Order: sequence, then C-alpha cells, then structure tokens
Amino acid sequence: MIELEVRRMRHSGTEIIIRAVQPVLWLVVFGPIMGHLRAINTGGIPYVDFITPGILIQSSIFVAIFYGLTIVWERDSGILKKLLATPAPRYATVIGRSMASGVRAVFQGLVVIPIALIIGVSFVANPLYFIVAFLIIFFASGGFAALSIIIASFMKNRETFMGIGQAIILPLFFASNALYPTEIMPSVLRHIVTYNPLSYMVDAVRSLIITGDLHQLPIDILAIGVFDALMFGIAALTFKRIIE
Amino acid sequence: MSAVEVRNLVKVYAGTVQALAGIDLQVEPGTVFALLGPNGAGKTTLMRILTTQLRPTSGEARVFGLDVVRRDGQVRKVISYVPQEMSVWTDISGFENLLIYAKIYGLSAKQRKAVIQEALESMALSGVAHNLVRTYSGGMVRRLEMACATLIHPKILFLDEPTIGLDPSARKVVWDKLVSFKRDYGATVFFNTHYMDEADLYSDQIAIINQGKIVKLGTAEELKRSVGGEVILFNLAGTEIGADVLDEIRQSRQVKDLLISNSELSVVADDAETALPGVAAILSRRGVPVKKISLNKPTLDDVFLKYAGTRLESGGRIGEVRSVRRMIGRG
Repeated sequence: MIELEVRRMRHSGTEIIIRAVQPVLWLVVFGPIMGHLRAINTGGIPYVDFITPGILIQSSIFVAIFYGLTIVWERDSGILKKLLATPAPRYATVIGRSMASGVRAVFQGLVVIPIALIIGVSFVANPLYFIVAFLIIFFASGGFAALSIIIASFMKNRETFMGIGQAIILPLFFASNALYPTEIMPSVLRHIVTYNPLSYMVDAVRSLIITGDLHQLPIDILAIGVFDALMFGIAALTFKRIIE
Repeated sequence: MSAVEVRNLVKVYAGTVQALAGIDLQVEPGTVFALLGPNGAGKTTLMRILTTQLRPTSGEARVFGLDVVRRDGQVRKVISYVPQEMSVWTDISGFENLLIYAKIYGLSAKQRKAVIQEALESMALSGVAHNLVRTYSGGMVRRLEMACATLIHPKILFLDEPTIGLDPSARKVVWDKLVSFKRDYGATVFFNTHYMDEADLYSDQIAIINQGKIVKLGTAEELKRSVGGEVILFNLAGTEIGADVLDEIRQSRQVKDLLISNSELSVVADDAETALPGVAAILSRRGVPVKKISLNKPTLDDVFLKYAGTRLESGGRIGEVRSVRRMIGRG
C-alpha cells in the first residue's frame, strides 16, 4: 500500500509543488510580519523559526485529512470493492492506506524545509533529530488519514467531504500551539489545545528540529500513539460502512 | 463439489429494500455461468455476497464448499472479482497496477515477475504496460482489470457486467481472452450481464433473475425451447395442399404442430434445424412446390419476456449510459 502511494507520487510531481505554495506564503509573508510586531513571546527564538514546525505539519496534515477523498473516489470507482474481495485483511487495508498517506504527508512536509532554510530559519544541526521528527510526522499523519477515512465512511459525496475537511483542519490548526505559545491563550482554548493531537505533533517536531529541548518528547510520542491507536481502531470498524 | 451453491439467499438493505428474495442456484466447476437480468434485478448484490463483500440477511452461500460468511477469508483466496465500475488506479502504469495486486496476493518477487509477464501477454497489453492507465482506452482498461483478476489463477472468476460500455470489437476481444483463460486453467466463470447475446454466445448455463428471484435456469437452448418450439416457415408456390400431406407431416416424429394460412405453412418443432430435412422431403415427394423456407427461433429476449414479464433491452439503456459516463468522468 505504501509502495502504491510512492508510485503514484512519482507520477504527480507538480501536485506536490503546487501544494507547497500555501506553506511558503505562511513562512515568507505571515511569519516575518508577525515577527516584526514582537507581540508574541516565543521564548527567545525568532517567530519564523517558532512557526516553521507548525507550517510544515499543517501542510502534512492537509494531505492526510483529505486522504479520505481518495477513499471516496475508490469507493465510487470499483477499486475498494475489488480490494475487499482480495485476501488482504480489512484492517490491513485501512492501516496500510493510512500509513501510505503518511508517506505522502512526509514528502509534502519535506518540501517546506529548503524554503525555510532559504529564509534563514536555524534548525538543530542533528540529522538524527530530523529523522525522528519525520517519523513522528509520518505516524501522526497516518492517524489523521485514518480520521479522514472515518469521516469518509459517513460521507455520501465528495462535496460534503471537502466541506467537512475544511471545517476540521482550520480549527485544528488554530486551536493548537502551531502559531503561538499556549501560555497566551484564554484558558478555555488552552483546554482544547490539550486534547488536540496536532499540538503534540507540533511540540514534538518543534523540540526536535528547532529548540533541541527534548524533555516533553516522551509525552508527545505517547499522545500521538494513543491518537493513532484510537483512529486506526475506529477506522477499521467504520470501514465496513463505506461499501454498503 | 459445486463451484457455487446458493440456498434461499435473502438480502434486505436498510431493513426495507429487498434486493434478493430467496435465491437458489448451483454452478458446476469449469463452466461459464451467466446471470442475466435488467438493472436493479439483484445481480450485483448476489455477486457481492458471493465475493464476501456483503453479508446476506438470511440463507446460505458457498463457493467451492466454503461458506461466504463463516470462511470468508478462505473464499477470498480462491476467487477473483472484477466490479462493474473501473477498478484500477489511473495515475500509475498498467504494470504498476499488476505489481500492487501481486503484492496484495502475497506472491514472491520471482513469481511476481513471471505471472505479471504472463498476464500482460495473455491480455495483449505488453506494449503499453508502462504507460499510465489514464491514457488507456476503455477496452484496454477492461483487459487490465482482467489481467489483475487472472493474476493468481483463481478457481472462479466473478465478473460484474464485464463488457459494459465497450464497443463491439472491444467486447469480442475481452471475451476471446476470457474464453482462452478459462480453457487454459479450467477456471469457472460467473458473470452478470444484461446483454443477451453474450449470455447466449459464451455461457454454459444461464439464470434469469428479476426482482430478486431466479425466474428460470438452463442452457441458452433449453431456455429458448421452453418458450415454445421453433418455427419453420414454408412459402408455397401454390395454395393447394392436400389434407393427406398435412397429416403425413403432422405424424413425422419431430413435428409438434402445424398451421396453414394462405400459402404459408408453419411447422412447429422442438429443434427446427433437425426437423427441416424430414418435412422438406415429404413436401418434395408429394410434389408441393416451395418458394422459400425460413427458420424462426425464439431469442433470449422472448425468453426474458415470458419469465420476467419485461423486455431486457429497454430497462438497461439509461443506466448503462449513466455508468459509462461515470467511468469517463472519473477516468
């Protein structure tokens, strides 16, 4: 399944480039302007550096959340039906597809790195940290793709799915620590952030590639693990609905 | 052991829509079985139950002795299924599609190369194997799907409307490939169709399904005969024909009935072709001049009309056009 996704990506290079436009705008326009205001206390690191992990993850998550569209397409065509009649177990199909989306998400995230380097974001110079960071993006995106499959199981057509996808992705992004530290948020929002899996993902990646301060990392990984397990479990259960 | 055995199968969708209303049928291994019926008759539902995608509401179904509910995992190992809609990834090449399926079926790297090669050759796709599927014609896509389905040499192949939306020559190619696959591997083929000519030409057994019930089962010949006999029509040169001649014809073994009106003599027989020489011999011996002889055989459409109460062709058209559009739109 993962191989399938890699092969598909090889044939669609332009798509990845086009999708990279939005994160570039965030980094090149939004980041420096907000940084100039110096309104947000980011704990001593430049604002652009602070939001880079968030932007990177946003573009990954975007891919993952809309992965359900692929599943809807495959249901409307006969691909899902055919897959269901193969010996591959159903949970393997769900998890396989989700992780495959993780691969796609990682590539989408990787595109952001060179741009960030050009505009002068200073990364932690440790390749091992980068590898771990992208492994985290990979697994967490898989979880979001599973969430996307869950949504897709309940959606009857692509248009509603697009709407729901948008309705999920922006709150997830804004109600997280991607753009600002949680300390400056109202307390209600801070509670939401605590239950937002995206926050743990951002925190983990930020500590690995920007700050190098790893003391929160085990909690982040644990939270992402729980989120993944939950999403895969539910997705495997709801997957049956999608074909009825 | 039967390839497919279905007993009193019922499927009710969402508690209200009855798709299958108690199906009984049996398919012998190594045969080609056609399930013929208009859109909405329950063909696809039956096939999806047999391929373990849907669970029946009640009743039993077995594929090569394996229950499709309790032993669904094992069923999936011996079957292949080609859905009505397009079922390959269009943004990768034909070869890559086959490779993914080979991996799903857990073939080793060595086996993979051999079977993919073989499948591509047998479906005449070797030349375009590395082109993106998006660039394929409808017939090529279908052949690629057949290649995916025959990759593992299944014991039984389930095809849902295998030639829908294809032009006649592409349809013929698809069938030629299927027939040779069946001949080479002794596989059983179970297909749904609303094209009577395909059921007629390629199947060993036909079941007519309408409104969730099998209304008639048999070979194409049996079905046609069951509608009533075949008719030999003699256009006579004169109008005079003696009663004794008619009696003689009536008494010959294969003739069931005859009718004369003006200068036309209609002779009803079970098998018009074998009855014809005998009747013609009597006429010529008695010196009755014949201008023209024609054979009228009932078609499957007549069969369908009799058992299902509707004509097949009319119902199918709009749905067919729609699903073809759907395939194009998504391609």
